[in-house]
Amino acid sequence: MLSRANFGAVKSTIILLLAALAIQGCAPTVADSGYFGKTDPPAGQTLRYITGAEPQSIDPQIGTGISEARIYMALFEGLVIYDPKTMQPFPGIADKWEINGNFTQFTFHLRNGARFSNGDPITAEDFVWSLRRGLDPKLAAEYSYIAYPILYAEGYNSGGSFVRSIATGQFDLEPATKTRRFVAPGAKPEPGKEFVPIRAEDLGAVALDPSTVRYTLTQPSPYFLGMMAHQFFMVVHRKTIEKYGNADWVLPKNIVTSGPFHLTEWVPYDRVVAAKDPMYWDAARVRLEEIRFYPAEDTTTMMNLYKAGAVDALENHCVPLPWIDFIRKLKDYMDAPEEGNYYLQINTTRPPMNDVRVRKAFSLSLDREALAKFRRVAKPLDVFIPNGIYPGYPTVKGDKFDPKRAKQLLAEAGYKDAAGNFDPSKFPIDKVEYTYNTTDTNRQVAELLQAQWKQNLGLTVPLKNQETRTFFTSRNKLEYQGISRSGWFGDYMDPYTFLSLFQTPTGNNGTGWWEKSYVDKLDDANRTKDPKERFRKLAAAEQQLLDSGAVIPIWVTSVDWVKKPYVKGMFPNPGSLYAWKFVYIEHDPSKWNDPDPVPKP
Amino acid sequence: MLRFVIRRLVSTVPMVLVVVSLTWGLIRLAPGSFYTGEKRLPPAIEANLRVKYGLDKPWYVQYGKMIVNTARLDFGTSLKYEGQSVNAILWRAFPVSAMVGLLAYALSLLVGITSGLYAAVRHNSKWDYTSMTLSMLGISVPTFVLGPILVLIFSLTLFWLPPARWDGFATRSAVLPVLTLSVIYMAYIARLTRSGMLEVLRSDYIRTARAKGLSETAVVLKHAFRGGIIPVVSLTGPALAGLITGTVVIERIYVLPGLGTYFINANLNRDEPLILGIVAFISITILVCNLLVDVAYAYIDPRIRY
Repeated sequence: MLSRANFGAVKSTIILLLAALAIQGCAPTVADSGYFGKTDPPAGQTLRYITGAEPQSIDPQIGTGISEARIYMALFEGLVIYDPKTMQPFPGIADKWEINGNFTQFTFHLRNGARFSNGDPITAEDFVWSLRRGLDPKLAAEYSYIAYPILYAEGYNSGGSFVRSIATGQFDLEPATKTRRFVAPGAKPEPGKEFVPIRAEDLGAVALDPSTVRYTLTQPSPYFLGMMAHQFFMVVHRKTIEKYGNADWVLPKNIVTSGPFHLTEWVPYDRVVAAKDPMYWDAARVRLEEIRFYPAEDTTTMMNLYKAGAVDALENHCVPLPWIDFIRKLKDYMDAPEEGNYYLQINTTRPPMNDVRVRKAFSLSLDREALAKFRRVAKPLDVFIPNGIYPGYPTVKGDKFDPKRAKQLLAEAGYKDAAGNFDPSKFPIDKVEYTYNTTDTNRQVAELLQAQWKQNLGLTVPLKNQETRTFFTSRNKLEYQGISRSGWFGDYMDPYTFLSLFQTPTGNNGTGWWEKSYVDKLDDANRTKDPKERFRKLAAAEQQLLDSGAVIPIWVTSVDWVKKPYVKGMFPNPGSLYAWKFVYIEHDPSKWNDPDPVPKP
Repeated sequence: MLRFVIRRLVSTVPMVLVVVSLTWGLIRLAPGSFYTGEKRLPPAIEANLRVKYGLDKPWYVQYGKMIVNTARLDFGTSLKYEGQSVNAILWRAFPVSAMVGLLAYALSLLVGITSGLYAAVRHNSKWDYTSMTLSMLGISVPTFVLGPILVLIFSLTLFWLPPARWDGFATRSAVLPVLTLSVIYMAYIARLTRSGMLEVLRSDYIRTARAKGLSETAVVLKHAFRGGIIPVVSLTGPALAGLITGTVVIERIYVLPGLGTYFINANLNRDEPLILGIVAFISITILVCNLLVDVAYAYIDPRIRY
């Protein structure tokens, strides 16, 4: 009988399901080993890694996300790379460099034997050409602004011009330096003058000889060396790009790379496979034979793949919040402060937030400990620069939780009753709202912020959530009222990457707050030779920013990722960018608990 | 019949153009651009990007170009994924979605019709109640709940099947996505088959067939089945189109490189050419599937004529 047979099948399926759930209930594997799921290493030296969102491109000068940055670190290399542990500059294709006294000239010496994956030698000319290509307005590279410290880079990238006198044929010079050409700000030349478009050849990058490249900068930039490890400055192969064009040169059949690995396979939304490159100058030290980069965005799915042993390590921020208390007890868990902060920004152009006392009151009434405790993987931050990332950077004075002082400030600002005490009903709360882009974390933070302001100030700040791109668009135009969510992830390893946000009133500032004295402090710091003294001056600028109350720091994020015990040489560093050449698979379980060897240049 | 088919095919052209025009307008209304992010670009770089992708041209030039491209079925290159042609993306992503969709379609038809048929024949039996209870469960449990439960059991506890990722359709990686996707359709089809069959089995011509002395198998499968299956056919036409053009939830849970994944990300990325390409592709598929259903009606039910 079909019905009986089928019913039998259904019944046995149900029993099977129940049995499976029962096994799950008393699963001994996880707790006993101290690891999450399977710990069988893959055969040979293959690393399977989930790098996050689908890479925008394989071209290091095109992609902007951290997901593709990690792929570029396998395929390409620049003059310097990131130290695997600290992310400070670490020799790459250059083995030595010199910096002039005022940090405006950086000269790099390329090592002997650096080659592209097709065997062509890597020369200083290649670095000059790579920079010109990256800044070409026709390429429209989104990250090109990172090269703007280089002389005439901004002018060339934005289609600017020099000014030349028609009569004498002399270029106008900058009033400040008297040596550099003046870049025209306007659209039309004055009478008797003509515009000369800035060419790629004018850029402040020259090959002094085949193994020496020199960069001249517009202003003192001590952070420039660290910046050179950025993907935008990685060297690309001129002949390949000229032959196949900007779109097709990255296809596995065409591509020529410069890093420790070369591209063997690229299936969009599925995998990017990189294999060890025998042409790489340091190939003898490269231990992995293959890296398989998998794109994925859903953190639960990532963790499932990890648990089942289908991948060996995951991207940063991979642990779903409800799992964190369980996962962080395991040996898989990687924890370290990140070069990133979560902060609130205030539209200082509109009342009542144009009053620094009101802004300060909103900051003083927040219990950051409680907020960070909720997030679990974050540490409370009352200053703007993430602490503990930049060795030697002093900690300035932030706002401690002080609701009494907050109310006092609001009363001083005029929102008081007859007795002179703060009166919430006098405060124009309809002019303030908290805007954020919709994610689970942001929503929960918004609710906590609202509760704290309600409890400590008696003010109910309305919450407004927006779809991500909608949010960024309105926030950048200062269209928000009151307070909005923000966060910043450093572009390079220096506090200046955070402080420079407020160097101009536009751009990523987003608050409307801007002071000339703040900019002067930053410029002065960047002219300072002694690194300690420079940090002290930068910290003074940070103090000014905090005193303005234009930003309310909330926390510094944690890297928050997992790796299997057999993956060695992958350190939890502040940018979650790894020097893949030092990573390897340890097949001997007795060595899993040994400390990872720290690579030397 | 042929004239009907040709007329319907011709009418798809203006319909697709209307759909892409509406979509184009909606994309324009959405704030933000493909380069909008946490880090704001300097205006000069924004301008470079707009020139590169022709976004600096007046809207009617851009619209005209889009319509011409759509008519030629060439959607240009993606804005987000530098240099990748939309057509190449479609041809790479569609087979994945289609394969999962077709397998789920076949599975749900097979299981759904068989169990529905049996439930109708054994009306009010134990089997009838069990299968209808299970199908109610199948309809009620959404895929984003069912998927993780199946993963928990088969991938993370028993370690039988991979929890995600795609290794091709004839591999173990296809089992869970296909199963998760088909359960709800299985359940619907079972219920529709049952109710359709119950109605037909009470009709006069079945009584006549029985009176002629035909065997019960012949009555059910030959006479009743064709009439009883009509509601299922109506459902499965659009269902087929939906299944093969990618289901966002399944593709996200199992990290499948299918159309659904591309579609959702293209929208979040404001990747206009890719959105338009996928919208056009999906609307053409739906129109064709509906046409197939109308043709199938004529074959299954002799009373329907065009």
